[in-house]
Order: sequence, then C-alpha cells, then structure tokens
Amino acid sequence: MIEIKNVTKKYGDFVAVNNISFQVKDREIVGFLGPNGAGKTTTMNMITGFIEPTKGEIIINGNDISKKPKKAKREIGYMPENVPLYLDLTPREFVRYMAELKYVPRKERKKEVERVLEEIGLLEVQNKLIRNLSRGYKQRVSMAGAIVGNPDVLILDEPTVGLDPKQITEIRNLIKSLGKNHTVILSSHILSEVSQICEKVVIINKGKIVAIDTPQKLENATKDDNSVIVTVEDKDNNMKKIKENIKEVKEIEHIVDNEDGTKQYRVVAESDIDIRRKLFEELPKNNITIFELKKSETTLEDAFLRLIDKDVNIQEDNEKIKKEKKKKGKGGKK
Amino acid sequence: MLAVLKKEFKSYFSSPIGYIFIGIFLAMCSVFFYLDVVAYGNTNFEYMFYSVTTILTFIVPVLTMRMFAEERKSGTEQILFTSPRSITAIVFGKFFAATLVLLVAELFTLIYFAILMYFGEPHIQTALATLGGFLLLSMAYISFGMFASSITENQIVAGILTAGVFVFLWFMPNFNSDLFGFSPINVFASEFPSGLISPEAVTLLVSFSILFIILTILVLQRRKSVK
Repeated sequence: MIEIKNVTKKYGDFVAVNNISFQVKDREIVGFLGPNGAGKTTTMNMITGFIEPTKGEIIINGNDISKKPKKAKREIGYMPENVPLYLDLTPREFVRYMAELKYVPRKERKKEVERVLEEIGLLEVQNKLIRNLSRGYKQRVSMAGAIVGNPDVLILDEPTVGLDPKQITEIRNLIKSLGKNHTVILSSHILSEVSQICEKVVIINKGKIVAIDTPQKLENATKDDNSVIVTVEDKDNNMKKIKENIKEVKEIEHIVDNEDGTKQYRVVAESDIDIRRKLFEELPKNNITIFELKKSETTLEDAFLRLIDKDVNIQEDNEKIKKEKKKKGKGGKK
Repeated sequence: MLAVLKKEFKSYFSSPIGYIFIGIFLAMCSVFFYLDVVAYGNTNFEYMFYSVTTILTFIVPVLTMRMFAEERKSGTEQILFTSPRSITAIVFGKFFAATLVLLVAELFTLIYFAILMYFGEPHIQTALATLGGFLLLSMAYISFGMFASSITENQIVAGILTAGVFVFLWFMPNFNSDLFGFSPINVFASEFPSGLISPEAVTLLVSFSILFIILTILVLQRRKSVK
C-alpha cells in the first residue's frame, strides 16, 4: 500500500506539487493523469525517493521513504520517464546489475534474471548492447529493470511512450498481468490507455489533484447534459423548427456538414428524458430522413478536459476576485 | 557497495577509458624509467616516481570526470539513486572502482622493479614506501576528481576543473612556501621516494581523500532536496 500524505514540492517560489494526498491499495493499478508539466513525474520521483518532498510524507508498505529509504526502496521497482539505461551494457548485464542492486541473493540471481528476461521477451536480444536496441526493446529493458527482484510496488512513468501500436498492446497486457500481484502506479497522458488498464484514476493539474475515482465514475460524473447526436438528410432545412415541435428539446446545435450532403446535429434535451423515441417519430413528419441516431457519450477524454478546464476557470476566478479585492483595498485607502 | 564497485570497474574496461588510462600511464612510466633511472645507470626504482606523479595531474581527470556527471546527464542516476543502496555505498563503490583501476596500473610498474632486480639490488623498502605513498596520493586525487564530477553534468567541465585544481595544488608552494604542507603532490615527493613515511604526510593525504568523499556525499544528498 502506498500512502501519500499532504505532499508538497517547491522549487524556490514555484510550487510543482501542491499538497496532494492519495492512497493506492495493495494489488491496485492506479493511473496518474495530467497534461505535461502537471507534476506527474515530480510526484513519481518523490514516491521513489529520488527527490525529497518539501513537505509531507510518503509511506510505502509501512516504511517512510525519507526516514527508512532502504526498506522502502526495496519494495519499489521504478521505470523512469525517457528510459535512462546504461548503453554500454547488454540487457542481461543490466538486469543482473539491477538484481544485484536490489539485493537478490547470489544463489537466486541467475534464475531471477532468466525469469525476467523471458517474461519481458528480451531473450532474443539479451546479449546485444543496449545502445544498439530499438526504442521498443529499450523500453522493455527498463521495464525488466523495474520488475527484477519482484518488488511489491511498481512505478511506471509513461511506459508506452514512443512505441508502435503492437508494442503498446503488448506492454499494456504485461502491465495488466503484473497488476494481479503487484501494486502499480502508472502515469500517462493517453487516456484510453488509463481507462483500459487502471482501476482508479488520479487526475492532477498544475500540481493539484483535480479528481480521484474509477474511470467509469469519472466519465459519468462529467456527463453534463442529456444529448443525442443525429445525422440527417434535411433538404428543406426543417431541423431548426424541431425545437418548437418537441417541447422537451432545449437546444439544437449544428456540428458538421458531411460530404454526402447529410448534416450532423447535437440535440440537447431536458435532463432525465430519453429523447430518441420522440426524434425518431417526429423527424420524418418534417421531411427529415434519419441516417444515424445515437446517445452522445462522454469519454474519459472529455472528462479529463472538462475537469482541467473547470480547474483553470476556478483558478482564474479566484485571481479575479483577488485582484478586485486589491483594487477595492487601494481605493479605500485613497 | 560491491555491486556498484564491480559494475563500475567492468565499465572502465568495456569502454576505452580504462585502456587509455593504463596505456598512457605505462607509456609515461617507461619514458621516465629510461630518463630518471636507466640513463643515470642507477637502480633507484623510486626516482621515476618524482616525474610519474606529475602525470597524475592529467590522467586522473580522465578516470574521474564521468563518474557522476555522465549518470546525471544520461539520467541513469534515477536508476541508481532509487535502488535500495545508500548514497554513501554508491560513492564508495565508485571511488574504489577508480582506485582499483589505478592500482592495476600501479602494479604494472613492478615490471620495472623486476628489471632493476635483474641488474642490481634495488632497495625494496623504499620502493614499497613509494608505491604506498603513490596509492595514497592517487586516492586523494580520485576523491577530488569524483567531487568535481558530482557538481556538474558536463564531463568536460569536471575534467578541466579537476586538472586545473591539481595544477594549482602543484605550484601552490611557489606562491607561498607556507602552503607546501598542504600540497599533496609536493608532500608526496618530499617524503615517500626517500623512504620516509611521516604521520603528517599520511594524515594530509588520507584526510584529503576523506574530505572530498564526504563532500561528494553531501552534494548528492543535497541535490535530492534541491532537484
């Protein structure tokens, strides 16, 4: 279990990570999401003990990473961003070195290295210099370095960046299978990835946690309206009148003109009403042919953008209020 | 410590650095062996070390400049410092790996001693004192080189800084003779090759090493909270 309690990291005046707290339970895969520069890597570096938080505690399986670094670090396998590796070693040498650093006993070392090389699929390149490997293989070597010694906690910083689609699927499946007996924190800015692999998502923006929940719940929570997407052939331009004909329709918004002459609209209805049946009955009466009718779904992508937008708006509002207060204060003095 | 030591020692020889270092060192030793010993027809093995120490100024930086600078630049320090090894163990591992390379080079100079044995009777105690002192001096230099490598991510800067400071330490007594006792290279030259081992000299060299090992550890620990 990983406990992060009120952690702050400052660089001079700049606050990279601002008072964040969350927990990761045993055998849970948690996705750490945020735009670039949100503080994901800084947080991961703090969890792994690479950098020291300015304030707060990080506890890995009961050991504080700052107070008992040796014990805490033994529980962690870390795959850093940009996969730094010793280029003049071979994958086998690298994994053996990592095993040694992680106190894998001498007797079991050979077997453990063998197991990891096989599990990650590195056997065919095990004796080539890492310098000469492709990006995908380098990524795997880095992953192998993280899982050797079978640590309880895996911290993976953008594990699929720079891979081709086939490799991405492979790595994702690997992470899923690792999640069965490891606690995993995984950072990414690819949302579909997170919704596929993770049981819980932590969204972070500008150093603050914006939301913590399951991917599904996040999608539902940010589903703001009850809208339907329709693609229609509408020669007489009757679509605008529909709003008057069906009283439950709040708004009709034109999205796009398709090449085949059809048009796509978003129809927003009063909440809790399924407008599809009404549309299906009403539109043909107005000489409109329906080509497609579907409920619009919020994806995690929308949820993410919406949450971050909301966060930015709140911050802007706060700043406005502050400025106004200052103005008022000055005015008062005069 | 052993894990780091082993890996570092091996990597000196999987790159050209180890070979270049030992090669240049032995080439220069041969030159000085001829100039300082053979040309005078004497059997004083230690005489060549007066000159050999001066080349440490230029070859120790080759050995030490990449120690931490390269790890920092390539990002591999993230792997190293998040492993369950303490900074102290990592620093000592790297320090002793470099020392071991130097020791290998130094042991090769026994060939010259063997040559002298064949032709005459060199003084064995003086030779041992010289070799011991030379090792202490090298360790002092390596510790400073390591420190220089820990404060920058640019190997070249680390190397030039190291050589520059060594040149300064070498000529320091020329500016003020009171500083003679603080110049490791001069302290070495004034004692060990004459078979003398004074506690002051040993203390200077050992404390010089310890000082910069501790400073390296402090630099790396501090970077954890500043980084």
